[in-house]
Amino acid sequence: MNNAININTVFVKQDTRMPIKDVKRLPGDLAMWFFILAELTVFAILFIGFAIAEQQNSEMFSLGKAELHQTSGLINTLALITSSYFVAIALHAMHLGQGKKSASLLVMAKLVACIYIGVKFWEYFSLFELGIDIETNTFFTLYFMITFFHLMHVLLGMVILVFVSVKAAKNAYNAKNISGFESGASYWHMVDMLWIILFPLIYVI
Amino acid sequence: MNTQLTNKKNTLSWLYLLALTVLSVYIGVFLELFTDNKILFIVSVLLIVFLKGQQIIDIFMELSQAPKLWRRLLLAYVVILPSIIAIIYML
Repeated sequence: MNNAININTVFVKQDTRMPIKDVKRLPGDLAMWFFILAELTVFAILFIGFAIAEQQNSEMFSLGKAELHQTSGLINTLALITSSYFVAIALHAMHLGQGKKSASLLVMAKLVACIYIGVKFWEYFSLFELGIDIETNTFFTLYFMITFFHLMHVLLGMVILVFVSVKAAKNAYNAKNISGFESGASYWHMVDMLWIILFPLIYVI
Repeated sequence: MNTQLTNKKNTLSWLYLLALTVLSVYIGVFLELFTDNKILFIVSVLLIVFLKGQQIIDIFMELSQAPKLWRRLLLAYVVILPSIIAIIYML
């Protein structure tokens, strides 16, 4: 009898308690997020600078944009979005403890990112063949500066992903120790997000 | 269950981002053919930038499950920066 009462008491307690709120957690290291904010700020200054320069030299910028290959910009957008997707599902696989699968997905992410790098270099060399370089005019100075700066971030992101994928393949991450992976993934998504702003600003508008 | 949902979310988000990218191309072509309204064009393109940014922030970066401050900081970036750019072009 006493046992029955106790059990009922337990059930009553469980039924009436407040639902536990989902714990909000920042993925990755806090330091990486401050670094991401700093990077975003630098790019914001460059983007605003580009827009102001375009406003003051609209004809030069229109002619400059006409020399750019919009389709290559579009291919790069699709490549970076797809690469980000592979990184997102790789992180998900790692959360499930599937280190090998996660590493394979990260390799896919890097291969897709190689499309971006290949297209970007093709674009640069096509412009060089036309006699256009960083000193041609203000538009191309800003174009080469901003897109090359972004390319450097893609390359850094790929180096980070190489380290992460090696650790993932060794199953070095687990539920309590995955912030390194999350930090690398967040950095990669930031690179993707910056391109999403950069592409319309420099190629389209 | 949550596992499947997360992967489904990632895949849907990826398809949505691809669709928005293609849509932005069509909007560009459409507006170029049928109107000279540059402001409409800029606003449309920058709206798509916001929609794409929001997907990356909430789904890929998983900030929808993070403390609100961080999510708002990143979302503010894809709202404020395109707005400043739009204002500069409209001046």
